Amino acid sequence: MPDYLETTVDKFIFRVATDRHYSPEGVWALAVGDRIRIGMTDFLQQLNGDVAFAEVKPEGTLLGTGDEVALIETIKTNVGVPSPLGGTVAEVNPAMELSPEAINGDPYGEGWLALIDARDWPTDRDALLDPEAYFELMTGQAQEESKKL
Amino acid sequence: MSVAERTVMIVPCSGIGKTYGTVSREAAYEVTEDLRPRSTQLVALSLLVLGDEEARAAVGTHPTITIDGCKLGCAEKMVRESGGEVAEGFAVLDVYRRHRDLKPDGIAELNEGGQQLAHALADEIAAIVDDLASRDEGGHHA
Repeated sequence: MPDYLETTVDKFIFRVATDRHYSPEGVWALAVGDRIRIGMTDFLQQLNGDVAFAEVKPEGTLLGTGDEVALIETIKTNVGVPSPLGGTVAEVNPAMELSPEAINGDPYGEGWLALIDARDWPTDRDALLDPEAYFELMTGQAQEESKKL
Repeated sequence: MSVAERTVMIVPCSGIGKTYGTVSREAAYEVTEDLRPRSTQLVALSLLVLGDEEARAAVGTHPTITIDGCKLGCAEKMVRESGGEVAEGFAVLDVYRRHRDLKPDGIAELNEGGQQLAHALADEIAAIVDDLASRDEGGHHA
């Protein structure tokens, strides 16, 4: 169970897990063994609402950094999820087929999207944000979104 | 109350300006006005929020079906907070997952997919109404 940075904006509570790295678009990456697990941040899932369907690129798909690795259909919109690293899709979370709402219920845990065989993780990791930097960025994004309500 | 008089309360989402909330209300209207007008009654969620005694009594003494437009589950929560029990809780999103070809859109006026989704949801609710209405006070089939 990771520790979290947490902030409240308007009536919403947003959490950032402290054990992984983040893209500015709100996708996290966590080294698990020799692979990298990726998923949507708490902010990104709350921003887009309840997930109806999650289509993750199948195993064997080659990805460049920023390539769309998943398309998430929510009650509000369709979200293309950019990969935070380059590599090959090694495994898709089976929960995405039957219970994609795991993205909403546990974005940093059961709601992970895929495991990636990284092409050059050290380089990609250095280009990502650490938890504190993403927390600051996300807090600003959340405050901007709250003004639209 | 006899089995024949047993009325099922229908409490839809009150989310104004939300597509899935609109689907929930359209389905509730179809059930209470067209499909099962004699065995159902619509209860406005807003009345429960306001603590309206008549609405509270209705959900407190009748089998109640809730229809929620999002995971917040306001309809289900308010029925329980009003002293009622939820006999069956529907979520529009779950119904959409079973009918992916019926993607809802629109708010004041639903698109064709949304209207058909509301119709599919109404059919599912009507089946549950029939089951609930045929049970006695103890929950057994008459």
